[in-house]
Amino acid sequence: MTVVSQDTELAIDARGLSKEFRSVLAVDDISLEIPRGRVFGLIGPDGAGKSTLIRMLCTVLEPTSGDAFVFGNSVVSNPHEVKPRIGYMSQAFSLYGDLTVAENLNFFAELRGVPKSEMAARSARLLEFSGLTEFAERQAQFLSGGMKQKLALAATLISEPDLLFLDEPTTGVDPVSRREFWRIISDLHRNGITVFVATPYMDEADRCDEIAFMTQGRIILRDTPAGMRRRVPGRVIEVAVDRYREAMTLVRTLPFIRSVEVSGELLRMLIDQDACEEDCEAALRSTLEGAGFSVGNIHPAATDLEMAFATLIPAAGELLDTSDDEILAVAE
Amino acid sequence: MLPMLMLMPVLQLVLFGYVVGSDVKNLQLAVLDYDHTVQSERVVEAFTSSGYFTLAARPTNEAGVKNLLDGGTAVIAIEIPKGLSDSIRARRPAQIGIVVDGSDSRTSQVAAGYAQGIIASLSSQFYALPSAKPGKTAPVGVDAQIRVLYNPTMRAVNTMVPALLAFVLLMSTTNVMSQAIVKERERGTLEQLFVTPIGRSDYLLGKLVPYIGIAVIQVIVTFAVGVLWFRVPFRGSFWVLGIGLMLFLFACLGIGMIISLMSSTRQQAQQTSLFLQMPQMMLSGFMFPIAAFPPWLYFFTFLIPLRYMLVIVRSNFLKGSGFVALWPQFLALAVFSLALFFFGLSRFQKRLAD
Amino acid sequence: MRRILAIARKEFIHIMRDKRMLGVILIMPLLQLFLYAYALSFDIKHLPTAALDLDHTEQSRQYISALQQSNYFTVNRVLNNYGQVDGIFESNQDQVVVVVGSGFGRDTTAGRAGAVQVLVDGSDANSAQLGQTYSGALSRVYGAKIAIAQYEAKGASVSNVGALTGNTRVWYNPEGKSASYFVPGLIVVLVTMVTVLQTANTLVKEKEMGTYEQLIVSPIKRIELMVGKIAPWALIGAVEILVISLIGIIIFGIPFRGSALLLAVASLLYVTCTLALGLIISARATSVEAANQLGSLVSFLPTFMLSGYIFPLSSLPWVLQFLSYLYPARYFMVVTRTVFLKGGGLSVLWPQLAALAGFAVLMTTFAAFLYRERA
Repeated sequence: MTVVSQDTELAIDARGLSKEFRSVLAVDDISLEIPRGRVFGLIGPDGAGKSTLIRMLCTVLEPTSGDAFVFGNSVVSNPHEVKPRIGYMSQAFSLYGDLTVAENLNFFAELRGVPKSEMAARSARLLEFSGLTEFAERQAQFLSGGMKQKLALAATLISEPDLLFLDEPTTGVDPVSRREFWRIISDLHRNGITVFVATPYMDEADRCDEIAFMTQGRIILRDTPAGMRRRVPGRVIEVAVDRYREAMTLVRTLPFIRSVEVSGELLRMLIDQDACEEDCEAALRSTLEGAGFSVGNIHPAATDLEMAFATLIPAAGELLDTSDDEILAVAE
Repeated sequence: MLPMLMLMPVLQLVLFGYVVGSDVKNLQLAVLDYDHTVQSERVVEAFTSSGYFTLAARPTNEAGVKNLLDGGTAVIAIEIPKGLSDSIRARRPAQIGIVVDGSDSRTSQVAAGYAQGIIASLSSQFYALPSAKPGKTAPVGVDAQIRVLYNPTMRAVNTMVPALLAFVLLMSTTNVMSQAIVKERERGTLEQLFVTPIGRSDYLLGKLVPYIGIAVIQVIVTFAVGVLWFRVPFRGSFWVLGIGLMLFLFACLGIGMIISLMSSTRQQAQQTSLFLQMPQMMLSGFMFPIAAFPPWLYFFTFLIPLRYMLVIVRSNFLKGSGFVALWPQFLALAVFSLALFFFGLSRFQKRLAD
Repeated sequence: MRRILAIARKEFIHIMRDKRMLGVILIMPLLQLFLYAYALSFDIKHLPTAALDLDHTEQSRQYISALQQSNYFTVNRVLNNYGQVDGIFESNQDQVVVVVGSGFGRDTTAGRAGAVQVLVDGSDANSAQLGQTYSGALSRVYGAKIAIAQYEAKGASVSNVGALTGNTRVWYNPEGKSASYFVPGLIVVLVTMVTVLQTANTLVKEKEMGTYEQLIVSPIKRIELMVGKIAPWALIGAVEILVISLIGIIIFGIPFRGSALLLAVASLLYVTCTLALGLIISARATSVEAANQLGSLVSFLPTFMLSGYIFPLSSLPWVLQFLSYLYPARYFMVVTRTVFLKGGGLSVLWPQLAALAGFAVLMTTFAAFLYRERA
C-alpha cells in the first residue's frame, strides 16, 4: 500500500481504532487509509461492527482506543474541526417526522451554516434530484421508505460536505429508488466528494472504487471490486439441471466444488481446478447424470462479489489471529 | 428506573414529614418599641421566648416596619405604644399593635393567633386582680380548658405521614402506569399484541401486576419510615388499613388507565397526570379544610376518592377507628374505586379492540 | 446565533404541531386557577361541632349560641352525655366537641369563671390547630364580656378593669381576600409544572428518535443547543404567567401594585430556570419515562413545599431551608407576592432578581455541560 503523506490528501486516516461495549469488542484495532475522492464500500455481515466503525469516524462515538484523522483532524481531540466537513446518514431514519420535507432541509441547512444566499437554490436542486419537489410540504413521517431515505440523503448533502458517511442507506428501499440513489452518489463522486458507504448489497459494492470486507470487528480484505473477484481461487461455471435443488445437495459432496448457489434456475458453482483430474465439467456431468439428473448447458460465468464474499471471508476468518498482511496474502 | 421509583416515596417523606409536618415557628418578628420601659421589655421577652418568634429587627419608626415587611425580612411586627408602663400601673387598658404580612397566606393568621395568645397571658400577668388570696389571680369570665384528643402534642407529622401512604399510591400508580401503557401506544407495539395468542385480559393483568407490586413496596417503605423514623403512633389495625389502601389502589389504577386513554404521547400523559394530582391534593382535605369551601366546591369534593382515603388513614392511625366507625368512607371509597377501575378497564379493552 | 434560531424555530414547529399537548398546557392551568382561587382559604369556617350542655341554664345556652354565631363553628348536634363523645370523633361526625360544665350558669352569675371544656380532634392537623386558636380566642372575648358584666355587677367601674389587648392589622390584604393569598403563589406552581416537563422530554426524545446523532454531527455548540431549546418555551411560559396574572386581576380582583415590567423580566428569568432544570434532567435521562418521572417529581411537590408558598420556610429544619435557597421558586415566590400585593419595586426586589438571573445562567450552563456530545 502506498504510504501517503499525512496531510489532507487522505480523507480518512484511521489508526488502531477500537471500540469496546461492556465486554464485547465491536471494532478491533482497525487501521485504514482512504484517499480523497474515493467511493469506499464496507461490506460485512450483521454485527460485524460496520455501524460502530462509521460512528466513530464521524465523531458520534468515542473510540475506546486509537484515533482517526478526517482531513487531518483527530476525531478524538478535534471533533469540532471534523464536523463541518462531513455528512452522516444513519441506518435508521433520523430526521424529524413532524417537520415537513422543506422544514427538515431548512433546519439542517441553517444548522450547518449553509450561506443564506444559497439555501433556496441548493434546496430546490436537491429536492428535484431526489424527486421530492412535490412533497415539499408533506411531513416526513408520511413519506414512503424510499422517499425518507432520499430526504435523509438530501439533508446531509445540503451542506455540501467533503466526506459522506452512509450506513446501509438503501436498506428497505425499492429497487427503483435504489438506482436513483446511486445515481446521486455517482454524481457526487464526479464532483470530488469522498463517500464511505456500508452496504449489504453486492451490486452496490460493485459500484465502489474500493471495497473492504469486515467481520467480527476487523477488516479482512481490501481491494477494488475487480481485484476481489480475481482473488477468488478457482473459476465459476453455470449449470442447467432439472430438480436443481436436489442436484445441489449432490454437487456439494464433490471434492472439486468449492461452493454452490442457485442463480435463477441454474446452479452456479466455484470449481477448484486443481482438484479435478482433467475435465471438471465432464466429471460433473457424469456424476449428475449417473444419479439420474438430466443436465443441460454448462458454461463459464464471471465471478461475482457474492461468491467472493462467501468464500473469502470464512477462509480469512479462520486466520484472524495473524497480521493483516498475512491475511491479505492468503488468497493468492 | 427502579431507583427512581424508590426515590419518589423518599422525597415525599422528606417533604411531607419535614415541611408540611413542621409546626409554624421561628417567625421573623419586628419590634417597634415606643415605650422603652421594663414592662415593654417584658413584652418583647414574652414574644421571643415563646418559641414561635425570632427577633428580626428593632425599627425605630413605622417606615422602618414597612421596609421590613415589604422586603420580607419580617412577617409580623408589634408596636408597643408610648406610655404602656404608665397604663399598666394605673390599671388603664392598653393596646399593642400587631401588624401581619397578609400576603403570606396562613403564616399571618397563625402568627396573629400566637400573638394574641401571648398578649392575653401578658394581660392577666400585668393586670392581676387583687384577691383574698395574695399572689393568686382569680379567674374571671370563662375558663376554657382546651384538650386536643388523639394528637395532644399536635404534631403535624402525625397527620401528614399517614396521608402520605395514600399519596404515594396515587402518584406512583398513575404516573408509572400511564407512562408504560402510552409508551406501547407510541411505539405501535400495542398492535403487535393482537397477533399474539395472549388474551386481552391477560395482557392487562400482566401490565397491572408489576405496578401493584411496586406500589405495595413503596407503601410498606413509607409506613416503616413513618412509624420508625418519624415516630408516628399507629393505633389502628393493619387489616383496616390494608383494605382501605387496596380499594384506593384500584381507584388509582382506574385513573391511570383513563389517563393513558386520553394521551397519545408519554409527555401528554405525564402532564395530565400531574394536573390531576394537584387538585386531589388541594381539594381532598389534605391541606385545606374542606369545611371552609364554598358550597359548590364542597359538594365537588365528594367525588374525590382521596378524600375518603385520607379520613380512613388518619382515623385508623390516630384513633384506631375500624370498619364500623368508618363504614361511610369505606362504602364511598369502594363505590368510586370499583367504578373508576372498571370504567377504565372497559374503555381500555374497547380501545384494544379497535 | 443562526444555529440557535434554527433550533428555536424547529422546537416551535414541534410545539405547534402537538395540538393535544398545547391544549393541556394552556387549559389545565387556567382550570386549576379557577378552582383554587375560589376554593382556597385557610380561614376556619363552619367547623363541624357538637355541643354537650351539662348545665342547661340560660347562660350555658347563650354561650353555645355565641359559638354558633361566630361562624367559625357550626353546631351540628347536641349530645346528651359524655359517653357519646368518643363515638362522635371515631366516626368523624364532628371535629370539635364543646362541653359546658354543670355549674356554668351558677359560676358566672356569682362572679366566678365558668368552666368549659373544648375537645378538638387532633387527627386533622390544620383544623386542630386553628380550632384551638379560635375557641381559645372566642372564650377570651366572650369571657371578657362576662367579666365586664361581672365587674359591673360588683359596682366596679369598667375603666378600672385593665387589660392588655392586641389590635391586629393585616397589611397588603386587609380585605382578607383569599384569592390574593393564593393566586400569586399559584402562578409559580402552575408554570413550573408546565415548563419542567417540556424540556425534560426534549433531549431524550431526540435520542429516541435518532435525530440526536444528526445533532452531534453538526457543528452546533452545546450551549447553543440549550439556549435554542429553551427559547420558545421561555416565551410561552412568560406569556402564560402574564395571562394568568391578568385573569387573576380582572376576574378575581386581586390587586396589582407593582411594576408589570418587573414581573415580566422576573417571569422570563424564572421560566428559564425551570426549563434549564428540565434540560438537566433530559441531558442524562435514560428514557422518556424516566425523564417524565423525574420531571414531575421535581416540579410539583418541591415547588409547592419548598418555596414558601404555603408552608413558611422559617419553620423548616435547617437542612431543608438550605435546600430551599437552591430552588429558584423561592425567589420568584417573593417577587410575585411583592409585585401583586406589596407594591415593592426594584429597590426591594433586586436580590431576588439577581438570584434568578444567576440561577438561569448557571443552570443553563450546567445543562450544556451535562449534555454528552457523543452517543
